[in-house]
Amino acid sequence: MAKDIYIGEVLKNEEVKPQFFLMKIALPEAFGKPLPGQFVMIRIAGLAEPFLGRPISIYSFSRKKSFSEIELLFRVVGRGTQILAGLISGSQVEVHGPLGGSYKIFPEKENIVFIAGGIGVAPLSMLAQYFCRDAGVARSSLNFYVGAKTAKEIVGLDKLTELCGNMHLCTDDGTSGQKAFVTGAFQKDMKKYDPAKTAVYACGPKGMTKTLAGILGEAGFNCQVSLEERMACGTGACMGCAVAVRDKSGQAVYRRVCSDGPVFDLDDLIWE
Amino acid sequence: MTKKTNPRMAVQIGNLRLKNPVMTASGTFGYGEEYSEYVDLNRLGAIVVKGLSLQPRPGNPPPRIMETTGGMLNAIGLQNIGVDVFIEEKLPFLRKHDVAVIANIYGESYAEYQKVARKLSSVKGVHALEVNVSCPNVKKGGLSFGSDPRIAALVTRKVKEETDLPVIIKLTPNVTDITAIAVAVEKAGADAVSLINTLTGMSVNLRTRTPHLKNITGGLSGPAIKPVALRMVWQVVKCVSIPVIGIGGIMNAGDALEFMVLGARAVQVGTANFINPRATTDILEGMQEYLRYNNMKDINELIGTFNEGVF
Repeated sequence: MAKDIYIGEVLKNEEVKPQFFLMKIALPEAFGKPLPGQFVMIRIAGLAEPFLGRPISIYSFSRKKSFSEIELLFRVVGRGTQILAGLISGSQVEVHGPLGGSYKIFPEKENIVFIAGGIGVAPLSMLAQYFCRDAGVARSSLNFYVGAKTAKEIVGLDKLTELCGNMHLCTDDGTSGQKAFVTGAFQKDMKKYDPAKTAVYACGPKGMTKTLAGILGEAGFNCQVSLEERMACGTGACMGCAVAVRDKSGQAVYRRVCSDGPVFDLDDLIWE
Repeated sequence: MTKKTNPRMAVQIGNLRLKNPVMTASGTFGYGEEYSEYVDLNRLGAIVVKGLSLQPRPGNPPPRIMETTGGMLNAIGLQNIGVDVFIEEKLPFLRKHDVAVIANIYGESYAEYQKVARKLSSVKGVHALEVNVSCPNVKKGGLSFGSDPRIAALVTRKVKEETDLPVIIKLTPNVTDITAIAVAVEKAGADAVSLINTLTGMSVNLRTRTPHLKNITGGLSGPAIKPVALRMVWQVVKCVSIPVIGIGGIMNAGDALEFMVLGARAVQVGTANFINPRATTDILEGMQEYLRYNNMKDINELIGTFNEGVF
């Protein structure tokens, strides 16, 4: 189904950890099944403020008897998400989507490695679900590295532990899992994975992604990373969500996170 | 019950006839393709495409946008594919539609404006040029072309030399007296003026005490600027006899009609597209509804009917 603006109803909006919210939204059936990595722009229906929709990746999708249901897992980072966090069941929202491209899927790979920092869990969880349910990949092939500053910022484990055979949990302060950066935890295990037989997917703060780029370096892994940027239109028109990447000829260019992404090859990203 | 007849919506901009007065504002509708999934492009009065320069421009480093109360700031920096790629890759798609295509052009010198105008005038499928003399986000040569009446007039003359297409000059509100620029470009041969472009503004991140935009300043658009746009359109229609195209914070049919009552011959819908991809056609339908309700058979009956004296 085509992307469009749908009016949805908030079924549930729950603070799963301080500042982390899980919003369940009922949408018309016409809202098509999103691909992993895609996102929606969400606004409060009929209100002038906040003015722009907020881009939030889709955490899960399910088809119900007479409607579609999506879940958004988001963190309060500013005014827009703060207001979204305050929505109660029954609130009407405008949901524009599904938007953007998706992760490239390699179900034939022996190892699927996910590296998530903080709220980066959200799109990768949807991807893990896709590998399990749609691509028929065995649980044992799915290796999920989750990291956060502290245990209070680890979210999404309930779903992930069900989906992934190998969970690796780390926090900066050691309050949950190993005391390490998620990139460090992966680095320790790196020699276990044959680059030719492994697909790596990452989502997290810029610092994490940059560190990961350094770790993977010339090792030969294919790593796709989904990015976040402030957006206005979500459909490629406004050019607001630029990210610097290297194009095929090696030249530095700005691409749109919304429509050229949000998933990019880690190798193509340019770090300032 | 009023009979459901469709009011006539066609308007005339110079020698360009538009099927209705609703256009897209440059930079908010891509090259048309981006919105073709949402909007039947054939229903639009005109598509004004993203500003084109002679060479492709990479645009400004991010972050480029920031939401503000009742609007947003942008500092895109005229990122565009360049006039040649536009003609080659984007124009064929637009040509397949029955819609007026207005190419917004930008140059860093008179010669560049002329070259871009010449290229676009020699191909089929471009129906008018809109000259951007007012981008607030590009630094080149100090004074922007749109803030000095003599320079704005000279750009107008130079572009007119190169083209038989109607030439619309898009005016910046970031000047002391917008009427002086409007009058100057009219004298220089402009077929119409469109206003306003964005208002220069900025936004501060109090946590980091840094600007929200990498460019520090950006152009403010959205409903927040509508009162300023209305005031400037009101001032300009009194000073020029060429058509005026109203732009600035139009979110719905009522907003669009306010501009037309003041005397704007057509309007451009910009930032509203970001929130509602169907804003243009929603606005068109709303305008027709208004005319029907007020028993008007033709949009031209409404244009310029503003009455300053009656409350």
